[in-house]
Amino acid sequence: MSQDLTRRAAVAALAGGAGFLIQKAHGQVVWQVNASRCLNSRLGEVGVEACNLCTSSCVVGLSAVRAVNEHSKCGRCNICPAYFNIASAVDEKGLPSEKLCPRDAITRKPIGRQDPEDPSNNFYEYSIDEDKCDGCGRCVMKCKEPLGLGSITLRVRYDKCLNCNRCAISTACPKDALEQIPLPEALKSGEARTG
Amino acid sequence: MRPRVQAAALLVLLWLPWQAFSQAIPYTRPVETAPQENTIGGGYKTPAVQKPLPRNYWFQVFDVVLLAAAMGVSVWLVIRRRSRRWLVGLAIFSLAYFGFYREGCVCPIGSIQNVTVALTDPRYSIPIVVVATFFLPLFVALFFGRAFCGGVCALGAIQEMVVLKPVEVPRRIDRALGWLRYIYLLLAIFFALKPAIGRDFIICRFDPFVGLFRKTGPPHMLMIGGAFLVAGMFIGRPYCRYLCPYGVLLNWCSRLARHAVSITPDRELDCGLCNQACPYGAIVHMRAVRQDCLYCARCYASCPNERARAKRPLVAITRGTK
Amino acid sequence: MADLRYRQRRAISGKGPEPGQFGHSLTGLALDSQGLLYASGDSEIKAFDTAGRLRSRWRTQRPALAVAVSRDGRVYAGEEGQIEIFDAAAKAARVWRDDQMLGRVTAIGFSGDTVLAGDAAGRAIRRFDRTGRILNVIGADNNVGGLLIPNGVVSFDVDSGGVIHAANPGKHRVERYSPDGTLLGHFGKFSFDNPAGFTGCCNPTNVAVSGRIYVTEKAGPRLKAYSRDGEFQGVLAADCFDPNCKNIPVHACPRGIVYAADTVRLQILAFEPEAA
Repeated sequence: MSQDLTRRAAVAALAGGAGFLIQKAHGQVVWQVNASRCLNSRLGEVGVEACNLCTSSCVVGLSAVRAVNEHSKCGRCNICPAYFNIASAVDEKGLPSEKLCPRDAITRKPIGRQDPEDPSNNFYEYSIDEDKCDGCGRCVMKCKEPLGLGSITLRVRYDKCLNCNRCAISTACPKDALEQIPLPEALKSGEARTG
Repeated sequence: MRPRVQAAALLVLLWLPWQAFSQAIPYTRPVETAPQENTIGGGYKTPAVQKPLPRNYWFQVFDVVLLAAAMGVSVWLVIRRRSRRWLVGLAIFSLAYFGFYREGCVCPIGSIQNVTVALTDPRYSIPIVVVATFFLPLFVALFFGRAFCGGVCALGAIQEMVVLKPVEVPRRIDRALGWLRYIYLLLAIFFALKPAIGRDFIICRFDPFVGLFRKTGPPHMLMIGGAFLVAGMFIGRPYCRYLCPYGVLLNWCSRLARHAVSITPDRELDCGLCNQACPYGAIVHMRAVRQDCLYCARCYASCPNERARAKRPLVAITRGTK
Repeated sequence: MADLRYRQRRAISGKGPEPGQFGHSLTGLALDSQGLLYASGDSEIKAFDTAGRLRSRWRTQRPALAVAVSRDGRVYAGEEGQIEIFDAAAKAARVWRDDQMLGRVTAIGFSGDTVLAGDAAGRAIRRFDRTGRILNVIGADNNVGGLLIPNGVVSFDVDSGGVIHAANPGKHRVERYSPDGTLLGHFGKFSFDNPAGFTGCCNPTNVAVSGRIYVTEKAGPRLKAYSRDGEFQGVLAADCFDPNCKNIPVHACPRGIVYAADTVRLQILAFEPEAA
């Protein structure tokens, strides 16, 4: 019967298509921010406003994108441009009086061998509290080279991301910085090595 | 100098500085200069950066297995057992799991876009589970008809729940509205074919029910979802019949099905009760139209022969009752 | 203070494949007694005359991170793990190799008969005698065990009195050391709006001394001058640098011409005082 034949042909065609796609396919695929494209961390552009589209576009209440500080690449500086608002007035301790983060998500802690007399002689560890951070990108922009060392980047956090088929942030991003990549690649640290 | 040489020289003179200014000087980051643990001293250990993992991959595989199993159950319930009651149970389960729990994502309808991109963009990474989600319902449709639509698709299930007093849509209008599915499918493929920066998954963007599943969304989409449900009370499953782009593919595949819902000429009573019961216009001239049959099993539930065979009391399902 | 006005006199070299151009890095500047300007970058040392023409160039074993010319005309090139010493005439090299003491030599200077090497890996300045034997270490005797250099570059220069002026960017100041390592003093503090102060997280990045003290900064790159006692004298240049410059090498000639290198465009800029 011709219907049988057509059905077999259709099965073969579908199986062929499925086979072709499966050998191209990957395992677990997730969304991640490409730091070389993201406006806040890409090198080469200075003096621009931090882009906060990650905060406003995500369908989740508090955006699944957060700022993450890669500690091994952080300078541990006394006066961190991402922690302090370095344009604010200097207080009597010689530090800027205002903090940069509008939600106060960055904490500063002296580490290592500490000088009891001169606090500017210490190294400081800067951590971002992910429950407070909303991914607005201000600290990322200030940490970017050459002002900082670029250790803070915006990353998608998978305990919060819904892994939507159509990521609303990726549609809104003006630099097409959100990409779907296999999970092992996505977990590597975000580095903007070249502009 | 001759005019042409002059013009050429001018072009070259203009081109050179333009080249110099337009090429952004690529800026490479210097070598690692951050202080190390031995520099910081005091026994400090650099804390590892938290890397939260997504939902375990096996959950996604499980979802695909569950999808296949649910379709198998749907086929068995409708073709073999012919039980509407159990099918409604399956639909409720699918609505709860695939709809509200998994929030309707990734669904076979949206996977059309992923497959389109995977076939045309070499940089795109399509997960295997999405490939499976796309092809499984089509394979089933080739043999058993639109088993996916009956009791497995969460969007279909939510519309099934609200069918109250379905009216018969006149044939002409039904046909005409059916063209919308093809237009939607072509539009979805068109937008999925665009390069990454212009790409838009419109099936996901304009899914009327995902906002209800997530219990949040843009207000206009929530209202459209509500409107579809209200319409669904009087027009059976309007999204499925007139908009669903995946329904086009299922339509094509189920035309070739051998073991789908059928009305056998030698056993039928010519009473027309099944025709009255089907809210989707899938019974024409006392024959089941496989490509339109949405696997709801109302026809079996209303057939006197079936009731007798199953030794269950006859329940006349006339149009306008559940 | 406000009447220190400098203008850019010349731009030497650039980025490209030509012999006189640099490929991807420009790390140090030095002048010899004849007025030849030496620049270290990529894996080469290049010498330019005052007109900006390339006079000679030769390869170094490893990427060249610093360059200095001693009084007797030998060219010292700082590299990772070693210093290569070139005879100005014969170009034959002697090599001082020491992975511990010469981890990453980003600055070289001379004090009397001794050679000073700024080691960015050890965050201190090492002092050697003429044979390459280590004498003492400068700048490591503090609570953090060295200079605070998140930018990865130790920069210093020696004045005519033998005093070493070293940049300590993490503390936003320039420190003065005697050759035996005693901290004699420092000047500078963090400030955003006052041009006399150093802005950002770690500035100044580089320092040069010739009569005055010249410093360069990053992130809002600029070249500034201070008196020997640390009194601010003016901003010599700011807008001519590419905004992404970092660790701008600087060197001053006794006649008052200041050379600073744009590390993105890989150009050496020469500044001279505007005619009074």
